Amino acid sequence: MKITFDNATIELTPTGKSYRATVGDQTVDVEILRTGDGRLELLIDGKRLIAYVSSENAKRWVTVNGRTYLLVKQSGARKSGGGHHQAAGELTAPMPGQVRAVNVSEGEAVTKGQTLLVLEAMKMEIRIQSPMDGVVKSLAVHQGQTVEREQILIEIVDRLES
Amino acid sequence: MFKKILIANRGEIAVRIARACRELGIQTVAVYSEADKNALHVQAADEALPIDSYLNADVLIRAALASQADAMHPGYGFLSENASFAAAVESAKLTFIGPSADSIRAMGDKAESKRRMKAAGVPTVPGWEGLEAEEDFARAAKEIGYPVLVKAAAGGGGKGMRVVEEEADLAEAVQGSRREALHAFGDDRLLIEKYIPEAHHIEFQVFGDKHGHLVHLFERECSVQRRHQKIIEETPSPLLTPELRAQMGAAALQAARAVQYYNAGTIEFIFDPISSTFYFLEMNTRLQVEHPITELTTGLDLVQWQIRIAAGERFPYSQDQLSQRGHAIECRIYAEDPANGFLPSTGKLLQFIEPRGPGIRVDSGFRAGDVVTHFYDPMLAKLIVHAEHRDAAIQKMQTALREFIVHGVVTNIDFMQAVLSRPDFANGKVSTKWVEDKFNWSPPAEPSFESLVAAALTDLTIANRTSEIVNEHDPFSPWKIPSGFRN
Repeated sequence: MKITFDNATIELTPTGKSYRATVGDQTVDVEILRTGDGRLELLIDGKRLIAYVSSENAKRWVTVNGRTYLLVKQSGARKSGGGHHQAAGELTAPMPGQVRAVNVSEGEAVTKGQTLLVLEAMKMEIRIQSPMDGVVKSLAVHQGQTVEREQILIEIVDRLES
Repeated sequence: MFKKILIANRGEIAVRIARACRELGIQTVAVYSEADKNALHVQAADEALPIDSYLNADVLIRAALASQADAMHPGYGFLSENASFAAAVESAKLTFIGPSADSIRAMGDKAESKRRMKAAGVPTVPGWEGLEAEEDFARAAKEIGYPVLVKAAAGGGGKGMRVVEEEADLAEAVQGSRREALHAFGDDRLLIEKYIPEAHHIEFQVFGDKHGHLVHLFERECSVQRRHQKIIEETPSPLLTPELRAQMGAAALQAARAVQYYNAGTIEFIFDPISSTFYFLEMNTRLQVEHPITELTTGLDLVQWQIRIAAGERFPYSQDQLSQRGHAIECRIYAEDPANGFLPSTGKLLQFIEPRGPGIRVDSGFRAGDVVTHFYDPMLAKLIVHAEHRDAAIQKMQTALREFIVHGVVTNIDFMQAVLSRPDFANGKVSTKWVEDKFNWSPPAEPSFESLVAAALTDLTIANRTSEIVNEHDPFSPWKIPSGFRN
């Protein structure tokens, strides 16, 4: 069985009592001693390891040896490194928060660096600025609205496209 | 003593105050906003009332009266340093657990408090305000001594701020600052003051009762900061000699006495490690986030004493009876991404496992399953350790950080481990600008081999469990693993 997280593919092969795990040119023998409640006790090449793992859709939060990693499981269909598509002028929320101000409306001409929207989250104000000279093609949010990280806020297009 | 206290706060500090009340046999009333209705601090209290905002003084006072509380604890932040709130609480015949409204007012205004401290003989950062002509700046700079800092009077956020190393650069810096200040704040008034290149933040806890007895409970070194906010605090400070400690403690008492202070307060100093001089920065007229490290090294329960003092009790210890024992460190666990400009991170806490062990204390406002929202400060918990000496405390903190498991939001735990492992930290060389200027850190670019193994095995066992769990003979077995692994 092969699973890809981020850009790393791991292969697990059952060997009876344990598993053989291979990533790149590294191969180890893994035995599961105990699992439950997001905690795993493993023997990796005979060495004891405790890992904490939580799953949230494609995200895997993993803590081992006192360090926490956020891995993203790649579905079989998509090649790793594909990323998600984003149009050049499509601006997304860099963090979850609330839309404090909307300074432009659809169809309005904007200049590069102009503040289009202001987001507020945890005492911080974040100005969403236009990446280029252009026109507001679509405005996806309104003042007071709560937005999630990566949610599309506004789309700016080249004057010629509009 | 009070019968019932309304806690006008949320998160870990509300939980902390509720515990102190319970220990003293006092009933508690929590208040909660819509976003907090299932929060830990609501469960920690005997009663709870909904409010629209932790900043609405009228609603809080009405809630206290409605629940027949006889006192109000403001915690820190929100209305804790609002003199009108303190006054309004008192005029509603409730006791405000904190200093008098007059003390809060006197220390609340930066310019006013600096004037009062100067008058009381407390050292303040040498500087001038209200200068206009360039030759006046030159004269002031010469008197203060280079390097000097020129900054906008209306300012903040480093705008219009210039460090000037020598006289030749002063005129240009003044012009530049003035331009920037006008542009940023619509106000071109400037301040000039002594620049302290490797400034440390060292503060003193003061404690006074309503009968005129005032002591200090020693210092806290709070120089590890990001975006002007403390993230790691410790006591004793590795920089202070017994002589300096005595001098600063005396200055802190002078400052507190100048405003007839009672209850818990903190005098913040800027400390120049090159010349070993210190200057009054400001006073926080409330309980401090980092109060637990003082509790661990002095053996006093500051929150209980706040309550007892507010009820009119005398503080029983003289300065001579107080001492510091061992070393304590606090790390503030924030839901934020240090690799991404410390942007707050929100989400559901999928796992939240606090470390335990001798000398480890966790003051937390969250449990597993709670949702961290963007409505409030992103501090999840405070991890505090106490050990015999500084090296042992650092080791204990490093171990405890490794055992603090938070999944579901990005935290600064790994970042703080890296800070604690740096020689600059071990050597007490961390100034308030160190994180910004000298500390380079990024999380590992590649996931570790072990993390991939653990994630892959979890996916495998979850996938198997759904189909094979029916074959399990003993559903309560602690060795409950899918049969596929046994063979």
